[in-house]
Order: sequence, then structure tokens, then C-alpha cells
Amino acid sequence: MSPMNRKALRDTLLFTLPAVAMVLIAIYIPFVMSGFYALTEWNGISRNPRFIGLLNFKTIFSSGSPEFVNALVFTFKYSALFILFSNVLALALAVALTKKFRLANFLRGMFFLPYIMSMTIVGFIWKFIFTQGFEKLYELTGWAVWNLSWLGDAGLAFYSLVLVGVWQSLGFYIVLYIAGLQAIPTEIMEAASIDGANGRQRFFRVVLPLLGPSITTCIFMSLTNSLKVFDIILALTKGGPGGATYSATLDIYREAFQNNNYGLGSAKAIVFFVIVLILTQIVLKIFERREVKQ
Amino acid sequence: MKKLLCMLIAIATVLSLCIVPAMAEEAVEINMFIPSPEYADAVNELIAAYKEVAPNVTINYETTQNDYPTLLKTRINAGMTPDIFGTTSGKEIADYAEYSYNFAGTPAAEAMDPAVTAMMTYGDGEIHGFALKGNYFGMLYNKAIFEEVGIDFPKTLDDFEAACEAISAAGYQPVTTGFAEWWVFKHVMQHFLDAATDDPAALVAAFQKGEAHFKDYPVLYDNFFRFIDLCVKYGDSKPLETDLAGEVSAFGTGKAAMVTGQGPWVEADVLSIDDALQIGFAGYPVTDDPAQSQVIAGSDQALRINKDSANLDAVMDFVNWWYTSDYGKSWFCDVAGVIPPITDAKIADMQIIKQGAELAAADGAGALSICYSSDSFNQAMGEAIQAYIGGSLDKDACCAQIEAKWVELDGAAA
Repeated sequence: MSPMNRKALRDTLLFTLPAVAMVLIAIYIPFVMSGFYALTEWNGISRNPRFIGLLNFKTIFSSGSPEFVNALVFTFKYSALFILFSNVLALALAVALTKKFRLANFLRGMFFLPYIMSMTIVGFIWKFIFTQGFEKLYELTGWAVWNLSWLGDAGLAFYSLVLVGVWQSLGFYIVLYIAGLQAIPTEIMEAASIDGANGRQRFFRVVLPLLGPSITTCIFMSLTNSLKVFDIILALTKGGPGGATYSATLDIYREAFQNNNYGLGSAKAIVFFVIVLILTQIVLKIFERREVKQ
Repeated sequence: MKKLLCMLIAIATVLSLCIVPAMAEEAVEINMFIPSPEYADAVNELIAAYKEVAPNVTINYETTQNDYPTLLKTRINAGMTPDIFGTTSGKEIADYAEYSYNFAGTPAAEAMDPAVTAMMTYGDGEIHGFALKGNYFGMLYNKAIFEEVGIDFPKTLDDFEAACEAISAAGYQPVTTGFAEWWVFKHVMQHFLDAATDDPAALVAAFQKGEAHFKDYPVLYDNFFRFIDLCVKYGDSKPLETDLAGEVSAFGTGKAAMVTGQGPWVEADVLSIDDALQIGFAGYPVTDDPAQSQVIAGSDQALRINKDSANLDAVMDFVNWWYTSDYGKSWFCDVAGVIPPITDAKIADMQIIKQGAELAAADGAGALSICYSSDSFNQAMGEAIQAYIGGSLDKDACCAQIEAKWVELDGAAA
């Protein structure tokens, strides 16, 4: 190795070291530790966790925790709706916002605004809207839809969460789609027009296939974000009413910190991690395969 | 390199010289990390007053409500156990026993109200906690509405139904429930547990072993669910959406006549909406025997002292001063406005506390039976009853779920 190359290598290592150290401390070391705690019976308080091998995993898989299964089902339902609505709406709005009209830039900003607010704040704002705001609207209009118990009814609360989740993160996906749309070469669009393609044909036959990389990114991001859903539920319903809106992450939190079963909670977290890993890899593979290479 | 080393040694020497004289004055720091931020101002006044008594002691006071137990566990596991920290009393006393100083026999322990001491006891007479305040539990009601309708506060379930009917006919909402909060249910349930048996501690223990069943206790199986049903029928239009804030607002604005699941802690908020509101306080109607409608007294929060604290003596001096000095004794009533957890103190001039003290003296007070169960269980119970109210569980399924949770979360295996 020449001295020049060695210096470059040393610089590279040196500059990445702080980042590597932070990631190690914040992510990998805790991950390994929770892997260890998953093998123990520990309440998170006492000094000595008791090693119990794979017993926690046995508890999870041998019908010992119907709550975890319910929470997983809830998370998958939430993710499906979240991915569907956030991507379809974001794509539609992105197409509209790339058209040239006076308020386009202003509207882009407006749609992005909720995304820069913290999820907890958004949750509390919407909690206020769902309770006090809707009550006032009912008084003004008399429409029955405002008088429904949006957070107090187990079925409705689920859709309220999807609504708020999509509303909050829509701006982020709009930005990604706008970037993708603007990267489509104009000559291809012009060629399509000259070939006699109408608006709808241009969108479905030209734009959509060329948006492949953006769609993959957005689907992937919305999948991981929705599987991790936590703060918005904590702020809006705390898993209620009657435990109907526990997501997998909230259930893990409850097990570890409220029920004082830190070991079992860690085991659940590991199981959930594996599920998310498999799921995201499958989705990534499917969408990458369908992408059109420019 | 050598130069740097020399300098470091020089600096260290100078620093150590500075520290030694400071040690002579015994500058002591006490780290106090406790819940109940609603008393932050009062606690800060207490600390300022102690600074005059013991100028060398600095108390670092931190408080939070949200997620306190999680934060506390994090600190304990990081080896930064606060010198003074808080948990719930009763069942949770055992969970933190290995960190808790036993201060039986200290002046503070001797000053403590026996009803409070009972909740702090661990094992054979060890006292593992003290309290910032005592507490009363019961139903609040709007005296003006009851006067207008011309009825007394109901002491039996039949009277409760009749009262709801009459208040409803007079155009008020009879009761506001706060059923969106899981902890409202534990506050209500303990009154029925006390009425169901002479020894609620033994009954809860039997539930935790899986040996007791709702069906065998009509006060729980019939009366409790009848009360919940009536509260839903005559209560808020969206019961599972009404939380503490909703209750305070419905009661404070004079819309609702009765409040379930709350106590003295809402008085200030309610009066800030309407400072002329005449608040009544009474036990829950639990059976058809008026004598069983009692308020409950005790302390559901425990403050503890880290037994491995480096400044254990200084911490105990502070707590003893808090519980026995003239300022400390009057602090509970004059500054914090809470129910004193000590025997030798005057009663705060607040409507709910005064009536609570009168009722407890006249009719006796029930046991604080929420503390026989852990909050993990209490939360699971709240969720089961919410599911019953929401219609996704029927009464038998709800009882079965509560019984199962009692064994799972509080039983011997837990």
C-alpha cells in the first residue's frame, strides 16, 4: 500500500469513528443487551436478572400472550391501511403540486408542515379536535358524523389513528414523490405526447413505471414507519379503549415497563424485530424487481 | 507529552487542595427525584426553608409525572439511584425493597399517621416509605344541584338510581365518569372490594392465587357492574372518551351533578372554573346498606430513601425535619394544601379534605384496597372494564379476564 493510500484509509477510519461509536452505543450495544435480557426473568428493578434460557420465547409462542398476537394483528392492519393511503394520496397530491399554479409552493409547504411537528404534539392536537372540536362542529351542523365517539369506540379509534398517522406523514411522501416526478426527463414525456398518448396513458404507462425507485423508497419507508407506530397511539388513545389499539411496540413497552416483565418484553422485541426484518426484505425484493431501469 | 502530564498532575494537586477545605464544611447534596409535579411549588418552598436550617445541604429536586416509573428504573439501572424517590405504596413496596432504607424507629416514622404507615410496611414491621400526603377517595357532588332537585346524596344503589333519574329529569347530567382513564376504575372498585368482605386484603390475596371468583361475591358481580351500568346510562355521552379533563370540565361548569373516580386532587382545578362551586364529598353507594357507603383514607404514594445513599444521615435529617419540625408540620396544610400524612397537624381548609376528615371520623374510613394490587394489574382491570363498557366483552368474560389478570400479573408466578 502506498503512503498516500494508507493516509486516505486512516482518514476514512478516523472520520467514521465518531459515527460508528455513537451507533454502537445507541443501537448495537443495547440490541445485544436486550438479546441477553430476553433470556432472563427480570423486572427491570432488581439487581440480579435470573437466567431462564429460552423460556420467554416459549411463553410467547405457546399461547401465553394473546395480547401480543392481537397487537401484531393491529399493527399489520394499521400498516396496510397506512401504506395504502399515505402512498396513494401522496402520489396524487405530488402530481397535482408539480403542475404550475400560483399556490403550488405554498401548498407544498402546508402539506409538509405537520411532518416537522413532533408526533406527540400532533397526537394531542388531534385528541383535542376529536373531543372538543368535533363536539363544537356537531353543535353547529347537527351532522351525526361529528357526534360519533372517534376515540372511544374500539372500531372507530383504529381509523382515527390511521387518519392522524397519514395526515402527519403525508408531506414527507409528497416531497419524495415530487422529487421523483421532477427527475423524469421531459423528452420522454414529449415523445409520449407526440406518439399520441393521452394524459391518463402518459401517467400510467410512462410516469408510473419511471417512478419505480421513488415508489420503492416510499413503500419501504411507510412500511417501517407504520410497523414502528408508537407515539401517536400513546398520545391519542394510550392503547384504549379497553386495550383495542395496542400496537406491537406499545405492547412491548407495556410488558417491559408497566407489567415489570423486562425479560419477556425484550423477548417480544426480538421476535418483532425478526418479523419486521423478514417483512421488509420481502417487500423490498418485490418492488425492486418491478422497477424499470432508465 | 511529558509537559502535558506534569500540568495535569499540577492541576489535580491544586484541585484536591481546594476540595479538602470544602469537605470540612460538609457540603452535602441530596438528589430527590419524585413524581407528583402538582406539588412542585410547595416542595420548592420546603427546600428553601430547609436551606435556612441546614445551609450546607443542597437538595436537587426533580419531578415528572409522565413515565416516572420508567425513568426511575433507568436511573436505578444506571447506578444513579436518587437519594429520595417515589413508587406506589402497598404491593409495590416489595418490588423496590432491596433499595429502600428501613426507617422504623426514626422520629419521622413515629410521627406518621398509622393509616399511612400501614401502606408502607414491608415484611415484619419494616417501614420502607413515607408519604408526601394522605388521600381520600369517594364521590364528589354538586351540592347546589342536589338542593335544587331536593334530594340527599344517595347511600344505596337503589337511591343512586332514583337520584340519577331525578337529576336527569331536572335537566342536568347526573354523573360524569372519566372512564377513558384506566385508573378511575381502581378508585371505584376499591369501595366495592371493601364492601364485599370484612378483610379486603385477604380477598385480594385470594384473587391473586386464583382462589376467589367474582360470582361468589354479589357485591362485585352484581352491585359493581350495576353501578358501572348506571354510570354509563346516566353519564357522559361518550363514556370511553371522557378523561380527567372532561370530568373536571363537566363538573366545574355545573353540567354534571356527580363525579366518579376522583378525589381532593381535582378541587383546585374545579374551583378555577367556578370558585363558588359547593363541592360535596361522600362514599360510593355500594350495597343497600347505607352504613357501607364510606370514604376511603390512606396514602397511595410512597416516597423512599435509598439505603445505599452516600449521605444517608443528611437525608434522614431532612425527612425527620420535614415530619417533625414546626415548619414541616404546618407545610402539609399551609403550603401544599394536602391531607397531612402525620398525626400531629391541622387539616387543610379545602372542601373535600374537610368533609373527608369529618366523614372518616364519624362513619369510619374503608381500607385503601387499591394498594393490595399492583398498578400493572389495575391497568389491565381498567382495560377489561373499558372493553365491557365498549361492548366487546360481556360481564362474565370481563370478570374472567380480570380474574386471569390478577393471577398472571400479581400472582405467585409474577
